[in-house]
Amino acid sequence: MNLIIPAILAPFSMMMLILLLRRFPAALALMGAAISLLAGIGLLSNAFNGMAGELILPGLPDMPLRLIATPLTALLATLVAAIGGLVLVYAAGYMKQDSEKVRFFATMLLFLSAMQTLVLAGDWILLLAAWELIGLSSYLLIGFWYRRPGVRSAASRAFLTTRSADLGLYIAAFILISHAGTNDIATTLDSTGNAAITAGLLLLVAAMGKSAQTPLHDWLQRAMAGPTPVSALLHSATLVAAGAILLIRTAPMLPPQTLLVVGIVGGITTVVTGLIALGERDLKRLLAASTSSQYGLMLVAVGAGVPLAALLHLIAHAAIKSSLFLGAGVFQHARESTAFADLKGAGRDRPRIFVAFALAALALAGIPPLSGFFSKDAIIAASLSSPNAWVLASFALAGTLLTGAYMARALRILWRGNRQHRHIPGLGWMTLGLTGLVTLAVILGATFPSIEVLLDQSLSGNPLAQLLGLSAALIGLALGRFIPGWRLLGPLLPWARQGFAIAGSFDTWVVQPAYAIARACEQLERGLYNGVLAVGRAGLAMSRAARWGDERGIDGLIFSLVRGVHELGNRARTLQSGLIHREMAIMVAGTALIFVALLIGLSVY
Amino acid sequence: MSIELLLALITGAALFGIGVYGALSQTNLVMIMMGVELMLAWAMVNFVAFWRYLHPDNPAGQMFVLIIMTVMAIEMAVGFGVAIARFRARGSVEMEEATELKG
Repeated sequence: MNLIIPAILAPFSMMMLILLLRRFPAALALMGAAISLLAGIGLLSNAFNGMAGELILPGLPDMPLRLIATPLTALLATLVAAIGGLVLVYAAGYMKQDSEKVRFFATMLLFLSAMQTLVLAGDWILLLAAWELIGLSSYLLIGFWYRRPGVRSAASRAFLTTRSADLGLYIAAFILISHAGTNDIATTLDSTGNAAITAGLLLLVAAMGKSAQTPLHDWLQRAMAGPTPVSALLHSATLVAAGAILLIRTAPMLPPQTLLVVGIVGGITTVVTGLIALGERDLKRLLAASTSSQYGLMLVAVGAGVPLAALLHLIAHAAIKSSLFLGAGVFQHARESTAFADLKGAGRDRPRIFVAFALAALALAGIPPLSGFFSKDAIIAASLSSPNAWVLASFALAGTLLTGAYMARALRILWRGNRQHRHIPGLGWMTLGLTGLVTLAVILGATFPSIEVLLDQSLSGNPLAQLLGLSAALIGLALGRFIPGWRLLGPLLPWARQGFAIAGSFDTWVVQPAYAIARACEQLERGLYNGVLAVGRAGLAMSRAARWGDERGIDGLIFSLVRGVHELGNRARTLQSGLIHREMAIMVAGTALIFVALLIGLSVY
Repeated sequence: MSIELLLALITGAALFGIGVYGALSQTNLVMIMMGVELMLAWAMVNFVAFWRYLHPDNPAGQMFVLIIMTVMAIEMAVGFGVAIARFRARGSVEMEEATELKG
């Protein structure tokens, strides 16, 4: 039996079951994720034994839909299922008091199965479909609390931003399919020349949208309006990861020019969003900015020509960022807010949760022996070995420094302050999910050598990179620990708080023109509408005239005839007096008249 | 035109005049019917006179007059029947009072 099927269909069928039964949503969701995880592990062990699974489904003519389980896709599928499962465990506690658990867990499962389809897709068409599905399900999840103010606009913004960038993926897929003559991703990756450059840049656009890279990073912070498990899943292994996964999978095709662009975009993002995170006043928004920043680092690695480093960081980041979000979710429940002003000292209330959060934060900053250290080290080594080392390496080091700074800042704020103890319902489940993820975040570094074996690639160790990375992380941590974020930013603070909006950013450059176009369209449509309405009015007037003609003309003629006859009858009636002699007199007079007429007539002829 | 025919026609015309006057001037149903009878009598006198003057050999004219007289008798019977019925119902045969059939 092909294990690809349960990996994708288990969450999907459990979603259908939840929607049908409308009860036990958390248990069913966990079962779906568990089956998917088991299938993923099965695929992974098959991959270790050198067996690549493939499933070819009938699709478009000459373009069958392919699902493939190569070492890379099997690894990603396992990651998605593992993170998803642990987040669902957490969500069982987090959503305990929410009245719409059915909708929540069903959408989460839809999200998981869409993501499994995306990572296992072996052809462009299926990839596009899955890409759209994760866009849709993330829209539904971000807008889950759609009654709260601002949530709907956040969900729409996330959807529209990623959706606009998706056009790049569509065009790239068309270019590659028409160039290679097949929709198989592995085959199309052999493309070279202009097609590869153009398609690579367009894929970068799509990845920038999904992975929230500058200048499209704004939506991710607003997406924090969704429930915290959603943020954890979005940021770690699913939606945002999709962009990086796309670039990692297509990296063999990208020519050096495109790679440089990818690296520079990633580098700029990691610095810009790192600065935003430093100035942020909300824990979840800080984490969101940090997500953009870390994906920027992955793009740097891809740009340096070592997608494996990006993949390792993706895996490590998935575990780390989801644990950070889950910890933040606990603090959010404890203080009913995610603003730093309310969260001061929240760590003291729950020391164990704080330790877990801090472990994940240190892992993200890149402190050995936590997983983040190995992946960051790999990225810095990759950037040092690339032909554009000075650009990429300085970006990577700046990103590492900023990561340390903003994580230390978050830890400091969470620890300093007054204690407030409050009972949190469902804390057991939340702790369970969080513990699992933090464990992953801590130990995943040990699995990296076997991943290198699995993918049959090796990373060159570089003592210089380790030294630089570690010192950057430590300096960053020290800066963040001892100096407040606003002082670190200095004159950049207002810029960072506005998300580095250049001249009003999107609102001026995209939103206003879009509004203008929309207004023009509305005018046009109103004109058309009025035209149509005028035609309709003319028709109405004509039919009214016809009705008038009918009623007054033809009917009137007939009725007046009827009235005339009636009138005549009335007149004639008065002649009948009922008096015999009067009528007889009339008769005699009439006869006399006839007689006279006859006489006159006879005398004439 | 012979004197006899003229005499007969004048007699008839006089009968008709008397009949018309009687029918119009009287209010009693019986008297009105008598006037009507006189008018019919004028018709018969004329009939006989013209028969005698124009076709004395053909007896059909005489037969016609006999049939008219029979019809007159039947008409009288019906008329008097109506009068008696009305008298029984209303106690009078005055036609001034009989306006029930007015339109």
